[in-house]
Amino acid sequence: MCDTCGCQLHEHHQHDTKVVEVNKSLLEANQKQAHSNRHHIEKMGALAINMISSPGSGKTTLLERTIEALKDTVKIGVIEGDIETERDADRIRAKGIPAVQLTTGGACHLDAPMVHGGLHVLEHFAKGEGFDLIFIENVGNLVCPSTFDLGEHRRVILLSVPEGSDKPAKYPSTFRGADLVLITKMDLLPHFDFSVEEAEIETHTLKPDVPIIELSSTTGDGFEQWIDYLKEMLKK
Amino acid sequence: MHELSLAQSLLDQLVTLAREHQAEHVTRISVTIGPFSGIVRDSFEFGFNILKDAQPLTKDAVLVVETPDPVYTCLDCNKVSVIPFVQPGEATEMNLGGGYPKKCPWCCQNRLSPKGGTELILNQVEME
Ligand SMILES: Nc1nc2c(ncn2[C@@H]2O[C@H](COP(=O)(O)OP(=O)(O)OP(=O)(O)O)[C@@H](O)[C@H]2O)c(=O)[nH]1
Ligand SMILES: [Mg+2]
Ligand SMILES: [Zn+2]
Repeated sequence: MCDTCGCQLHEHHQHDTKVVEVNKSLLEANQKQAHSNRHHIEKMGALAINMISSPGSGKTTLLERTIEALKDTVKIGVIEGDIETERDADRIRAKGIPAVQLTTGGACHLDAPMVHGGLHVLEHFAKGEGFDLIFIENVGNLVCPSTFDLGEHRRVILLSVPEGSDKPAKYPSTFRGADLVLITKMDLLPHFDFSVEEAEIETHTLKPDVPIIELSSTTGDGFEQWIDYLKEMLKK
Repeated sequence: MHELSLAQSLLDQLVTLAREHQAEHVTRISVTIGPFSGIVRDSFEFGFNILKDAQPLTKDAVLVVETPDPVYTCLDCNKVSVIPFVQPGEATEMNLGGGYPKKCPWCCQNRLSPKGGTELILNQVEME
């Protein structure tokens, strides 16, 4: 009997087996779309930032404060990713800035095709005026978003003081992909055993040259550095 | 966390490939999961083996996963080394002891920076 197909022929006969060398990333579809998103964003005249953190690390609050600081000089657009609700987009709209809410309906991360849809809606809001800076607030999750390029120009990871300074070591793939790490809620430092030094050492072990800024959206401490980072990025 | 959706996209790709090559069954596929891809091998295999049954075309497919060992650059001496990967669930004694020996074999410092390894690649597909 032939082991391959179980047929009753005594001699092993040749199955018509084809071996196809593929050698392609399984994420190729996302990568292609991300690539075209990047072009799309540049054609809109903008650069994009993908913001990744655990739930509640202060992404939306940071955006609110950033908009207050920049809205007179920089045309900002925001794409909000959440599993459910329009709440974050409403908070941004309350600041007079166009915001698109993407609700993933359960998915734990944004991917490039979702952001593509969001860009078209954002463009519609811009009424031909274009943007300088587009923030994409990812779904609160320190694991999955790191796998998916959205077409951003910079990836910013937020780590808030209450989460603990061991997070870079525990979520290496996320911190390894960072272009900038923000340690947020610095005003809470006296109440937690967060070690800024540990967070910095662990982060730099994963990515030696990544800049780290410590700030607080509540007190505004450290904001100057963050705003300078954005202005510097927009100059290039 | 998204291993299931990645397994689904792999199966979609297999269906397309099989059609292109007019094959009736996919028998074997090999995939490389990089050590820093953030993708858990067990979950990926588990997802694949459940989802493949949905179609006659893929239900006999054997998934072979390669997980290359991670490569690190030492931030102290700049040398590159390969340090065997501990799969989640494996070698728990080592993990529990907190003695995970991630030290530069050249200079014994522990400032090792991961190099590459974020890939998730479909290498080869066998079909008939
Ligand atoms: N003390 C303090 N609290 C802050 C700071 N920034 C944000 N918060 C609070 O943290 C909570 C969560 O903030 P959000 O900005 O909604 O966090 P998020 O990351 O957008 O949350 P998700 O979108 O749900 O993942 C809110 O109660 C904020 O008021 C800060 O700098 N200091
Ligand atoms: Mg938010
Ligand atoms: Zn060394």
